[in-house]
Amino acid sequence: MLRPWLRQSSRAARALTCPQCRQPYSSTYNSLSSTLSQSGRYLQTSTTESQERVPLRKQLKQNAKALKAEKRQRREDEEASRQKWELTVGIEIHAQLNTKHKLFSRAPTSSTDLPNANIALFDLAFPGSQPEFQVPTLLPALRAAIALNCDIQPVSRFDRKHYFYQDQPAGYQITQYYEPFARNGHVDLFGHDGVAPEDGDHVRIGIKQVQLEQDTAKSQEYPPSTQLLDFNRVSHPLIEIITMPQIHTPATAAACVRKIQAILQSCSAVTTGMELGGLRADVNVSIRQRGDTASAHQYGGIGGLGQRTEIKNLSSFKAVEDAIIAEKNRQIAILESGGVVEGETRGWTIGSTETRKLRGKEGEVDYRYMPDPDLPPLIIGADLVSELAKTLPTSSDKLIGLLTGKEYGLSIDDAKPLVELEDGARLEYYQDVVDILRDLQQDQDPKSRGGLGRVAGNWVLHELGGLLTKADLPWDAERVPASSMAQIIDHLQRKRITGPTAKQVLAMVFDGDSRAIPQLLEEESLLLRPLSREEYTALAEAAISQNPQMVEQIRTKNQFGKLGWFVGQMMRMGEKGRVEAPKADAILRELIFKESP
Amino acid sequence: MSLLREAERCVANQKSHVALNAFITALQPSGQWREQVKNAALRTKQGTPKSKVDGRLIAIKDNICTRDLPTTCASGILEKFTSPFHATVVEHLEDAGAVVAGKTNLDEFGMGSHTVHSRFGPVKSSRQDLDTESLSAGGSSGGSAVAVATDQCYAALGTDTGGSVRLPAAFTGTIGFKPSYGLISRWGVVAYANSLDTVGILGRNTASVRDVFNVVNRHDPRDPTNLSPFSRSRIHSYLQSPSYASRLASTPLRIGVPTEYNISELHPSIRRAWSRSLAYMRKQGHSIHAVSLPTTKLALSAYYVLAPAEASSNLAKYDGVRYGTRYGGPDSDGQSEGNLYANTRGYGFGSEVKRRIVLGAFSLSADAMDNYFIQAQRVRRLVQLDFDAVFRTKQPLLSPGSHTESAPNHTGVDILICPTAPSPPPRISKLINSDIAASPLDAYMNDIFTVPASLAGLPAISVPVTVSDEHQDSSDAGLAGVQIVGQYGDDELVLKVGELLESRKF
Repeated sequence: MLRPWLRQSSRAARALTCPQCRQPYSSTYNSLSSTLSQSGRYLQTSTTESQERVPLRKQLKQNAKALKAEKRQRREDEEASRQKWELTVGIEIHAQLNTKHKLFSRAPTSSTDLPNANIALFDLAFPGSQPEFQVPTLLPALRAAIALNCDIQPVSRFDRKHYFYQDQPAGYQITQYYEPFARNGHVDLFGHDGVAPEDGDHVRIGIKQVQLEQDTAKSQEYPPSTQLLDFNRVSHPLIEIITMPQIHTPATAAACVRKIQAILQSCSAVTTGMELGGLRADVNVSIRQRGDTASAHQYGGIGGLGQRTEIKNLSSFKAVEDAIIAEKNRQIAILESGGVVEGETRGWTIGSTETRKLRGKEGEVDYRYMPDPDLPPLIIGADLVSELAKTLPTSSDKLIGLLTGKEYGLSIDDAKPLVELEDGARLEYYQDVVDILRDLQQDQDPKSRGGLGRVAGNWVLHELGGLLTKADLPWDAERVPASSMAQIIDHLQRKRITGPTAKQVLAMVFDGDSRAIPQLLEEESLLLRPLSREEYTALAEAAISQNPQMVEQIRTKNQFGKLGWFVGQMMRMGEKGRVEAPKADAILRELIFKESP
Repeated sequence: MSLLREAERCVANQKSHVALNAFITALQPSGQWREQVKNAALRTKQGTPKSKVDGRLIAIKDNICTRDLPTTCASGILEKFTSPFHATVVEHLEDAGAVVAGKTNLDEFGMGSHTVHSRFGPVKSSRQDLDTESLSAGGSSGGSAVAVATDQCYAALGTDTGGSVRLPAAFTGTIGFKPSYGLISRWGVVAYANSLDTVGILGRNTASVRDVFNVVNRHDPRDPTNLSPFSRSRIHSYLQSPSYASRLASTPLRIGVPTEYNISELHPSIRRAWSRSLAYMRKQGHSIHAVSLPTTKLALSAYYVLAPAEASSNLAKYDGVRYGTRYGGPDSDGQSEGNLYANTRGYGFGSEVKRRIVLGAFSLSADAMDNYFIQAQRVRRLVQLDFDAVFRTKQPLLSPGSHTESAPNHTGVDILICPTAPSPPPRISKLINSDIAASPLDAYMNDIFTVPASLAGLPAISVPVTVSDEHQDSSDAGLAGVQIVGQYGDDELVLKVGELLESRKF
């Protein structure tokens, strides 16, 4: 516990005593240091000297060790409290729908235009104006609900939720409180989705309902007394997704939000994610002692829960996780000290360690929900639902299952990014490469053809991905056409080129070389002309003679790892692109161990 | 009389009757109206009038939006508000050649039964009692009714949420027609209680009311509660079937008399007007049948739960931020942010509006919702079923596919005849003088006969009849409003029966 404090003080002391640091401030330094040394006792104890004497390397090691111990301690504490207390979390996610028009007017949804440019009379709640439900907004909402495995309700209705705020022109928000358009869905979370290890490999979180509703205006504060309002966003169609209180770990809660965002994006129900404010989450957190089912509270039809609090407006996955951890710990601390958790609304600031109270139960708003008397019920035909269900893209769960299956043989770590990257564009490219490659390799034996999916995955994701990252370029499927990629891999598979050559050719195409692959290989004479055994032996002997002591180590200490170094030497010495690593390795072993007694 | 002379006389009357306070915004003598009327007169002379109301001055209740004149709703919060758009009904009227005769006074946002709750002062009826005390014009469309009664316009638009067109008609001796809910567009009509609000028409005779009705009775896609063209034609063909089309034309009517309306509080003069009207109809060959509408007793209470609930929601938008009058000083008195617009709303709204906002906020609150709002909705459904049980025709919207007369209710009645209000108009002084002022409940009692048709969305008309009393010589004392209520969609029959009774003297 003392260490962080000491470190802090030493840093502060150093900053003040280091002669290089104070040069620009030499005129003020004296007075500053004198006031500090008078008030700050720890400066006079001068821990600096003893600290300075510890070698940096040692100190770093110590720090890491302490941090590790601290983490272990925290983990143990966590585990102990987890054994005793059960956390229950339900999430409400608000997502901006990908639509052209607002929910109840024909004004465009673009909120990037000039402030207050896209507003209709109804959006500003002008007297005498009435809502005009925009039917097309239903399509992304339905896609989302279907992707979340919901039952679409044939009849749903709109209600008014009343509260006064300047970003809410009508004094109420139109939502679907009593009869939402979708119910009883679920989202599946797997290990690769980031669920907490203690939750196992698969968790299914129920979706209680999905409802359509209006967004609010954007208000901008200019302290002390100016508020600017931009009504472009007002009445942008939103869906609110309410999960069942079936989440019991902070990590799984974050995974749930992440997964729902990915699902919404994959079916084009939303345009932007959390990072751009297109998605916001509220979480309901409660705690109860494990095994205690006598608690009085019930949410979403699940009884026996502890008193919950709501944390509003979380705008990142990390905020979701951190806020839940903080709130869980706060509630446990209250309960362990014999207190009572109050039902209240709390807020979270990014980077903080505690949630803060926004309003208590007594300040709780009574929203006075009332069916909207201007809006007729929303009647959704089964034919529309089944048509949309048919045209919905395959779910990522299904795609990942397919990619990690026998046909493609990808690892989960490769399958997941492939599905998620660039909205499926990378996956499409991968599919093209695999198709062309399989076609090219038709003459090959089935066993080697079976591994093509994995090989292609490696090239598309890591080799091509690496080039993109290095060049800091966005994805472009045309940069290295799928057919070129497939031909490069085909040549490599047939051992017509070496691995390094393949990478070199890929880089050339990536950088704009538009020659056909065979022509390029020909003209740059990159095709493998296999070395003769004699040539390999000569290279190997040359390498060995340069480093006899390493050879000795391999021989006597079985340090086979050092063979790789010799292989590298051979490749460097040999003609570019002609030395094949496996062959070089074989010759080396032969030479090194042949002479051993 | 030529169109121009008629218009000039209306404008002159607006000036001479200014003390009645019927208009919030009257026409300027030098206004554009003169050109418009002249053009209409020319069209009429050439035999090509745009419609039957071409060149007529039609007054508009000030809760219906007009682009050129302010729309105040008689509220402080919209005192200087001019809408950026025309209500659909105003557009229809102008397209038909009619000229807006100004904006008439009303109870703030339509909430009231005597047009005394106005930021611009109460409306006085031109009628006086024997002591020459001014009488209530009824409300909330009192300004429109008085404007019609005193020839300040040809006809007027009002709005009727629970009787706001019919009650003023009854009190001023004019015709007040509330059509079936959903026939006339509400786009641009400032909402009080959307599920009940209906644009109504006031005129000196049923023929003029029908002429205006024919202009504004059109589908409007901007009003989501407006009846679709499909439903309109369905209702039309249903009522065109022989046995319904022949009513009044060749077969006598079966007239229903709801026994529950014969309450002990019914003023004798009103009861007399009612029974004489029925006797007259019987003499014309129609048959009279006692019918029961058992839920009537609950209707008024249900109305005063539902209407304020919707009002509290609709009026939440008036915060002075985007339009309307904002309170001069700081809005929250330095209080917490919970009181965002406290002063703007506190000073902007009148007492009756505030009362109904509080009532509505209460009945929608989580603890009261089930016992008040939901319960009242159930009553509303029962009221509707009551009516369906007594009418010969069916509620055409409830029985889709029954274009033809599938199993008509042979014992049912074609029309109901009952009083519009339980008593003659009270003195304004009695309503305003706070010492003897009646409680709001007394004012609510005036709506007891008009509210049921509003809850069920049915067409209803109030027409004046006069009963001469041997003991009194004042011809005015026996004036009373008789209400005719029809099944949903049966608006034309309601107008026809109104025509039979209007201005009868018994």
